[in-house]
Amino acid sequence: MSLIRNLTVQAPPAFRRQLLDAIPRLRRYARSLTFESAQADDLTQQTLVRALSHWTQFDPQRDITVWLLSIAHNAHLDGLRRDSRLTVTDPVDLQKAQDAAGGDPGVDVGLRMDLTAALLMLSPEQREPLLLVCVEQLSYAEVASVMNIPVGTVMSRVCRARAALRRFLSGEQATGAPALRRVV
Amino acid sequence: MANERNEEPRYSDEQLSAFVDGELSEAECVDIDAWLLQHPEQAMRVAQWAADREALRQRFGPVVDETVPAALRASVWHRPGPPRWALAASAAGLLVAGALLGGGAVWKLQQGREAQLAAGTPQGWVQRAAYAHKLFTAEPRHFVEVKAQEEHLARWLTRRIETPVKLFDLRDQGFELVGGRLLPDGPGKSAQLMYQDSRGTRVTVYLRKPEVGAAAAFRYERQGDTGMFYWVDENCGYALVGALPRQTLLDLAEAIYRQHPDATPPGPTPAAGSVPAVPSAPAVPASAAATQG
Repeated sequence: MSLIRNLTVQAPPAFRRQLLDAIPRLRRYARSLTFESAQADDLTQQTLVRALSHWTQFDPQRDITVWLLSIAHNAHLDGLRRDSRLTVTDPVDLQKAQDAAGGDPGVDVGLRMDLTAALLMLSPEQREPLLLVCVEQLSYAEVASVMNIPVGTVMSRVCRARAALRRFLSGEQATGAPALRRVV
Repeated sequence: MANERNEEPRYSDEQLSAFVDGELSEAECVDIDAWLLQHPEQAMRVAQWAADREALRQRFGPVVDETVPAALRASVWHRPGPPRWALAASAAGLLVAGALLGGGAVWKLQQGREAQLAAGTPQGWVQRAAYAHKLFTAEPRHFVEVKAQEEHLARWLTRRIETPVKLFDLRDQGFELVGGRLLPDGPGKSAQLMYQDSRGTRVTVYLRKPEVGAAAAFRYERQGDTGMFYWVDENCGYALVGALPRQTLLDLAEAIYRQHPDATPPGPTPAAGSVPAVPSAPAVPASAAATQG
């Protein structure tokens, strides 16, 4: 019997309809992670495929958007790992790396940056919770469940990301000293 | 004030950041509000963070209004993997194959139902209105996409669903507009307006551009505890959905009917392929035509 069940149970139409309705938000989140629409739609597609093949794991009591965003988060992480662009660091190292990035001679922090450029300067570990909170308007608890990290970590990453973003946007050096160098 | 002499800020950046994100209790918010009044430079930082939050939302917000690529929509209906029933049948014999063929028949039936939903049949769009109601009234935070205060709500929805959207005033019936959202509606789009009463009961109004000549009188349908009034005039299909007694819903439906945008065409934006509006009779007044469904 279990063989039959496993082979025949496809995601029901009601579930698929929920997926359909979630696509615009998934695309928005993917776009905010990748900045590039083709790449974002690839990520959205991967998310939908994973959701369909794991639909039995979805608890209907839960918010499907949060569930889907966590699938998107994992798919995105897998992609980053594949591209070996991800360095897993603890928050303190992260902050140091962030500060160092602010002083990177290749980056003109003396000039006012636009929002996208400033976002790009954040590490993925900081950018993602900030986007989930600000753009997707999730609660810290929801972000914690999407990213599988403690709520306290969400709170500190959001705060640091926000402070770093503001520094980049207002053209301040990471140290707080006025920017002297301009790269033209 | 014990710590008035203290030069250190009383609140950490993390707390202030959580304040911006609405993560603190009401009491904490009141305290921080008061504290920020005394600390203008901190108040400025908090205001900038809030502005950044809004800027981020604005930067990516428009993505949700984009047309979803057909390939993405299709991938949701696609049956993943190779036709495993073939493998299973050869491995497990005719009994299993029979069971699976049965499953396949169910699947085909469901696909048939999907096709029906995609077409503009009343059963299709009214059902979508019911689904959308259940899905979004249960959403704790994102029950609307655009809040009622945002001026562009009506304009935005009107533009997107290509039929005039009016923000109905249901305050006389005790319901405040919460906001709205744009939804896929078969091949087109629809708008959902959400209203809430003082007890937190939510009703939704689903609006869509109707097929030509689809005008239909008031109908009432009930699915479990959820009731629906729906009707179609020449410019718009309406479905009012709520877990409320029939009479309460009828009062709301009548209020909406009385406020519906004038039958004058919405302006020089006829959709491609549409024909001039048929001078059909107006939808039958609510009280006269409401039928038990």
